[in-house]
Amino acid sequence: MSEVRIAAEPRTEFGKGAARRARRAGKVPAVLYGHGTEPRHITLPGHDLMLALKTPNVLLRVDGVEGNNLVLPKSVQRDSIKGFLEHVDLLVVKKGEKVAVEIPVTLVGEIAPGGVLTQELVTVEVEAEATRIPEGVEFDVSGLEAGAHATAADLVLPPGTALVSDPETIVLIVSAPRVEEEVEGGEAAEESAEAPAEAAE
Amino acid sequence: MLIPRKIKYRKQHHPNLHGRAKGGTTVNFGEYGIQALEAAYVTNRQIESARIAMTRHIKRGGKVWINIFPDRPLTKKPAETRMGSGKGSPEWWVAPVKPGRVMFELSGVPEPVAKEAMRRAMHKLPMKCKFVKREVEA
Repeated sequence: MSEVRIAAEPRTEFGKGAARRARRAGKVPAVLYGHGTEPRHITLPGHDLMLALKTPNVLLRVDGVEGNNLVLPKSVQRDSIKGFLEHVDLLVVKKGEKVAVEIPVTLVGEIAPGGVLTQELVTVEVEAEATRIPEGVEFDVSGLEAGAHATAADLVLPPGTALVSDPETIVLIVSAPRVEEEVEGGEAAEESAEAPAEAAE
Repeated sequence: MLIPRKIKYRKQHHPNLHGRAKGGTTVNFGEYGIQALEAAYVTNRQIESARIAMTRHIKRGGKVWINIFPDRPLTKKPAETRMGSGKGSPEWWVAPVKPGRVMFELSGVPEPVAKEAMRRAMHKLPMKCKFVKREVEA
């Protein structure tokens, strides 16, 4: 994965007033830490950062800060409704260093007709070199029938990547579909179960 | 219909609807979700109605999650009653929902089907909502 360069400005004023002023100016407050270094408070351009973070686990080269400026996004805080970036934690990494990151699991192919595919695990934690983090891992579900399942151990990880998550973790389940009659039956059962709750009042 | 199995006090104060949801603001279980954009009390009847609207549209397959639970009772005095004589009797069970909360989740169906199913469900809910998809964060 190639690195993305991003220009940073050191942050001198703190608190919610300063942070809101920075956000109004189209910038995002961020903090850089890791490897025992002192935390460095910076602001990053909002649009460039938003584009960069579209790639999971993007490797960023932060220009404008002293010392090691190769970082990985550690935690991203977004507005829960609008989705804009509020704050980013950046973790300092070294070239060749192994880091534990979560990569997305993508399912490809079509399961056998008559089954319902439920993806239980969306991301899997792996250990990889900071400069060679895979963008994701694909799992082929072609021909899987109802009753089949896959665990994290079944994922074929890219070379140089090791699994950190529990290998027994369920990744996906193919189950038989529920029919409408069952749903209706369930409703009737739920309604009849109301009586004891009301009696308990 | 969703209802608490056991309660400690029959009558409670009105739940708070100020501010934004502080958790449950992302799609965690399924692939798609309905996110509240306004604060409102969602009754157990509305939750059930929305669930039925969704499951009827997806017909077979797919899985629905309900992330809210109506555990707060609201009371009402009978019509044409003079004021006083104590608090009214419990009438509804509601879930206080604040903006940002993902109330329903869905998976196992194509996106256009999920969108339509959730649009139908949103019509049963008392607030403005939006369709959201799961995002894999950094």
